[in-house]
Amino acid sequence: MDIAVSKGGLRVLATIFGLLVAFLYLPLAILLIFSFNDNNLPVFPLEGFTTKAYQQFASNPELQAALGTSAKVAAASSAIAVALGILSAIALVRRSFTGKTAISAILISPLVIPYIGLAIGLLIFINSVPFLDPGLRAVIVGHVVISLPYTILILAPRLERIDIRLEEAARDLGAGSFRTFRSITLPLIMPALVSAFLVAFTISFDEIVIASFVVGQDVTFPIYLFSQLRFPSLLPQVIAVAVVVMAASVLVLIGAEVGRRIVERRLGTETGTIGEPVAEPVGGRA
Amino acid sequence: MAWLVVFFAVPVVYIALYSVNVLSFFPGAEGFTFSEWKDFLDGSIFLDKFWTSVWMALTVSAVAVLLAYPVAYFLALCTPKRKYVLLLVMLSPFLISYFLRILAWKVILGDQGVINTFAYWTGLRAQDHPIPQLLYSRFSVVLVLIYVWVPFVALPIFVALENLDRRLLEAAADLGASRWKTFTRVTLPLSVPGVIAAFIFVFIPTVGEYFTPLLVGGASGSMFGNLIADQFGQSLNWQTGSVLSFFLLGVVGILMALFARFLTIRRVATG
Repeated sequence: MDIAVSKGGLRVLATIFGLLVAFLYLPLAILLIFSFNDNNLPVFPLEGFTTKAYQQFASNPELQAALGTSAKVAAASSAIAVALGILSAIALVRRSFTGKTAISAILISPLVIPYIGLAIGLLIFINSVPFLDPGLRAVIVGHVVISLPYTILILAPRLERIDIRLEEAARDLGAGSFRTFRSITLPLIMPALVSAFLVAFTISFDEIVIASFVVGQDVTFPIYLFSQLRFPSLLPQVIAVAVVVMAASVLVLIGAEVGRRIVERRLGTETGTIGEPVAEPVGGRA
Repeated sequence: MAWLVVFFAVPVVYIALYSVNVLSFFPGAEGFTFSEWKDFLDGSIFLDKFWTSVWMALTVSAVAVLLAYPVAYFLALCTPKRKYVLLLVMLSPFLISYFLRILAWKVILGDQGVINTFAYWTGLRAQDHPIPQLLYSRFSVVLVLIYVWVPFVALPIFVALENLDRRLLEAAADLGASRWKTFTRVTLPLSVPGVIAAFIFVFIPTVGEYFTPLLVGGASGSMFGNLIADQFGQSLNWQTGSVLSFFLLGVVGILMALFARFLTIRRVATG
């Protein structure tokens, strides 16, 4: 006997869950099916299996250039976002200062603010200051703003779980604050650092609203895809690319998460040996 | 911090300056005026569009929460091992490109899309008589936005239910409450903070949604965000555009201030 729900009730809930998952995956499955369909339009009836669309995009130089551009933008913006994320997370977790709640709310706010507002602000801004022009650098700036909250959200909880006595011990043994950070803190937050980087990378790689306003003449991957949607005959190709990117991003993110858990569990037992058990169970960062 | 001040806070100030025409896109036309603000607030089509967007966002958030609640409840009841696997199953679509998930719906809902051609093929509908309002309507925008947000909504609700002290439920049962009564009197009230957080997290970005209506909204499904974009793109009317964006940011700011306690790092990270 469960006090929260009856057997029949649980079955109803399980059915709802199943339906929701079907609702979530069906569109993606349809995308997958039609990427192999031998027809220039994604229409029924299905015409037979082909990998034509995949071959076409593999030999499309414009597309590859756009992918390359996006990779560069994503690498730069996520590196900056992670660096700033570490600094902000340390400030928020280790220091106490006035207005901490307000500042943490501001740091998190790009998470919920409509991107159009950020995009317009940035567009007006780069038109008013001399050191930024529309282009990839402006896109990088915008992407750092939107991915920073994610990096902080990944890094701060990890930082909180590090035993502060480890850092204190290093200080006592004569290490300066930078040395302490490099030899103690950094290795311990490394797994979280990697997943923060990957999350920031995927966000930037995928982002189109801010990019389309401030990019100027350059073409990032989402902007390229969007421009191709006007030509229906290119749709199968776009879908094929979509499927590949989809598969890649899922693999990377799941891989990162699994790796992070494994490494953290190992680090957890290591720090546990000096007296502090891992406070939170795996998956505490839900 | 400095980064955000320069590239986030300062642009907001710039929007404000534009909106009162202290700065102007065309040099020489500057001069402090509230005229655009007055036009906007005197019941323009812009304001109508804003209320339409608010209404659409409310629908999206409410339906998403209603769908997500039973799912989160189910996940919270699962055995720990299954719980996180199922959670990952539910969340992974959220990790997939936002653009691609909207694109999938465009492919599905279009006049020559999957649903309609399936209906032609099976004879459910006559050739070239697509189901009306399937794509390029408010319906399609709301549907796609619900699709996009549901997994994200389930997360804070799940965390709230997960952190529930089971002994409270046992106490309620001991005192003779039925399961339903335990749920409505104990579980539901205690999960309200999670529900509110989820609601706000969907509502705020959805009010200013731009890309989804652009792709699947057409003329009738367009939202406030598209109006803003039009002012900066086609009409080159930066002043009106700034009024609109500053208004949007103001509304967002007020909402965030009201619900600030749901937006702190600890809340978001650990529930």
